[in-house]
Amino acid sequence: MKTYNAGAIASKTKKSHTVKDLNITSLIDILTLLLLFMLKNISMDASQKSAPEGMLLPTVVSADKLIESGQAVVVKIYPDRILYGTENTNVGSLQDFMTKRSTRKTLLRFLKLEAKEIATSGNKPCLLIQADKNLDCKYITEFIKFSAGAAFANIYFSAIHTDNKNEVLGL
Amino acid sequence: MYKGPSSSRRLSQKEPRNPNLIPIMNLFIVIIPMLMTIMVSVHISMVGINLSSSRGGGGEQPEDKEPPKKITLALIPDRFEIQVEGQKEIIEIPVIPVDSISADAGVKYDFITLDKKISELKKEIENQNTIVVLPYSGVKFDILLRAIDICKDNGFPNIKYLTVTKKFYRVQGK
Repeated sequence: MKTYNAGAIASKTKKSHTVKDLNITSLIDILTLLLLFMLKNISMDASQKSAPEGMLLPTVVSADKLIESGQAVVVKIYPDRILYGTENTNVGSLQDFMTKRSTRKTLLRFLKLEAKEIATSGNKPCLLIQADKNLDCKYITEFIKFSAGAAFANIYFSAIHTDNKNEVLGL
Repeated sequence: MYKGPSSSRRLSQKEPRNPNLIPIMNLFIVIIPMLMTIMVSVHISMVGINLSSSRGGGGEQPEDKEPPKKITLALIPDRFEIQVEGQKEIIEIPVIPVDSISADAGVKYDFITLDKKISELKKEIENQNTIVVLPYSGVKFDILLRAIDICKDNGFPNIKYLTVTKKFYRVQGK
């Protein structure tokens, strides 16, 4: 038969009454470290690191690094519009780009100004093309020819990286 | 007559007060989801290309060595064509008929054969690191990047982008 000690029960009830609040200082410490770590790792040039909204990028296995001391200018080519720079300035539709002189002139002016500015700061101007995977190559070719005229010798295509080669091979 | 400290004062002296962490917690609740939203879940990579130049390369190669054969990969709407400098034969890789593969619309390029052929070419011409890619206007950007990727993966890190140029000549008197 179990016997109960009256004194022990009394001390137990006393203990349960004096339970303190959970000490969350250590949790705050961990969260502070996490926050600092995340802030350090997050890049501010989001345009280079993230896929543009509403655009299907092709998938590749290999990846290149931007040339040392290179600074990229981003151009997003959608099937219906071209967006220039990190501010996503709409410079017109693809059809305008192919046919209208004014659109080409505006874009060339933007590219030349940017290339000059980058070169003045001692960096190499690079062009990062983000284009929809269903776009015809004639637009890309035209754009490459065009940007070469604006002193962009280093051109990069943006794609989604995968480690699975079968995805690229279409298996 | 001496009067002792009040009971509340005694209590405050005995138990150090914890800092009010609620505002900090609120801040974390806002900042951490925000950072998680900014964080990239899809890894974006860059694929670099070189522009084709009219001058021939080979400045870095020793003069006594024979320059490596130039390889050109043409992307045509119905096939891939690989041409090796000095070889009359053109390697043709036609598209696979869609009916036999899936019900998707359009054509399916044979990337598996392309991968195999490029790999064989690399073994054949080991000292060549550059491949010239010539996409035709109707080919999709996805096909171009996949082809470039296959070349890079098979030991051709330098990709030259060649453009099709149209030249118009005026015939005298017309």
